[in-house]
Amino acid sequence: MRKKDIYILGIESSCDETAAAVVKNGRQVLSNIIASQIMVHRKFGGVVPEIASRKHVEQVLPVIDAALAQAGVALADIDAVAVTYGPGLVGALLVGLSAAKSLAWAAGKPLIGVNHLEGHVFANFLTDPDLEPPFLALVVSGGHTALLKVTGYNSFELLGQTRDDAAGEAFDKIARVMGMPYPGGPEIEKLARTGNSQAIEFPRAMLDNPYEFSFSGLKSAVINYLHNEEQADRPVHKADVAASFQEAVTDVLVQKSVAALEAAELKDIVLAGGVSANQVLQDKLAAAAHRVGARLVHPEKILCTDNAVMIACRGYYQFMDGEASGLDLNADPSLKLG
Amino acid sequence: MLTLALDTATKVCTVALVRDGAILAEYDISVGLTHSEGLMPQIDQMFRRTGLAKEAVDRVAVSIGPGSFTGLRIGLAAAQAMAYAWDCGLCGVNTLDGLAWNVPVPGVVLAPVLDAQKGNVYTAFYEWEAGTPRRRTDVVMLSAGECMARLAALDRPVLLLGECERLLRRVAPAANVFVAAPQLRLPHAASVGLAGEGEDALTGAARFGLKPFYFRKSEAEELWDKKHPADA
Ligand SMILES: [Zn+2]
Repeated sequence: MRKKDIYILGIESSCDETAAAVVKNGRQVLSNIIASQIMVHRKFGGVVPEIASRKHVEQVLPVIDAALAQAGVALADIDAVAVTYGPGLVGALLVGLSAAKSLAWAAGKPLIGVNHLEGHVFANFLTDPDLEPPFLALVVSGGHTALLKVTGYNSFELLGQTRDDAAGEAFDKIARVMGMPYPGGPEIEKLARTGNSQAIEFPRAMLDNPYEFSFSGLKSAVINYLHNEEQADRPVHKADVAASFQEAVTDVLVQKSVAALEAAELKDIVLAGGVSANQVLQDKLAAAAHRVGARLVHPEKILCTDNAVMIACRGYYQFMDGEASGLDLNADPSLKLG
Repeated sequence: MLTLALDTATKVCTVALVRDGAILAEYDISVGLTHSEGLMPQIDQMFRRTGLAKEAVDRVAVSIGPGSFTGLRIGLAAAQAMAYAWDCGLCGVNTLDGLAWNVPVPGVVLAPVLDAQKGNVYTAFYEWEAGTPRRRTDVVMLSAGECMARLAALDRPVLLLGECERLLRRVAPAANVFVAAPQLRLPHAASVGLAGEGEDALTGAARFGLKPFYFRKSEAEELWDKKHPADA
């Protein structure tokens, strides 16, 4: 008998994107709908939680409807509803979660609560159909920086994470100090292309624990540099600052990732989270991994930032493992990895 | 016509089933549980106990505010998703209207109040007439003192409903103002359902357009408008 195809509807609303997607058999993307609020929040210089929640409630059902329509799949044919329940902004999470729980219950489908960060890691399964655990994951976003050993589809081991700021947070902060619009990460990367990455020597915190990160010292060093130059009335070459800062961040990320790859004797490393879209990080990590006989997989651009495809993919593997959530599932804004 | 009603605008999580003016079931919880955890289990248990099929629901009525922003969004997102899944009608009921449905008594002014933070309340004044509560004023946000002054100026008895303890903590009731007993003043989804039965339901894509009645912009936007008067 032919194995039945499994269709998962994914729903995501943890920050400033309202998203829904349908994924077939865990790896085949049938639809990927994202309603972005970036332009709404830009004038405030960052995501305003109350405004994000208001936009989510306007968008969540239209986005779900569009995802089913684009996939050509009826709600009745969906096998399970997967939804992000953390981490993220609590008010934002609650909108997607409430819609998902209600939809799953009303349609008589199982509900699967998904960890957003695990979702980011699973985005790589959609880019590379051959990727299989075990592998190493470098999770880098505005809220997280972590090295995660993916030992199986449903088993993870956290090797280390940041003690203070996340890498993406440092990008956003530096961008704001230099007067660039939100979100700052892509702006820094764009500006850095015309700068000299060796122009300024910023600190690289290596720490005793080989898999832990710290970016607050670097962040302060860049801010102090900008401040001192301004005090001394020297013109600041912003592109050099952006390039040198980016070089320092990526040096640390790459060096620690490669050490973990070698220690764990893994052959694959994947990038996950918003900062995984950074081309310099991708290039440096790919080259460094290659030198130790490993391979870098990173999500295609549209799957680097928040989306529901990755949530549906993660949900699929939980579903196949027999996992399901209760109707009392609550949002967990500080849900952890591993 | 079978209506599923819900109200998560205040601390009370209340769900009900109403059919053609009759209340089939109502299930209220008011012990401070989060609506996120409680709402769907409560709805599920109500259907199990009544033995009614959820697919038989003709419309979903939801209290859309004013009220707690997070509570309103939990209720509306859930109501929209059910109406979508069953492809049935969706009805947004003003939370103050729903409270006025609690006390179908002509001859008194009904003044439901809801907490608007910072010592303010949302309110509107109602009178029953020909079987429905008629709103006599706009929905307004008032300080506790201003609200009580307006009620005192009326020449008829007034019954306070809703989150009136918030109001009474700041100001004493005027001579013509009485406080409804707890079983009357708390939100009841059955009232929301009865109110919803009399309204036109949204269908199709129009259901997506139903928004919470926030009454005001977010604080960040209000601040922005203040700093940038030309753009407001
Ligand atoms: Zn994310």
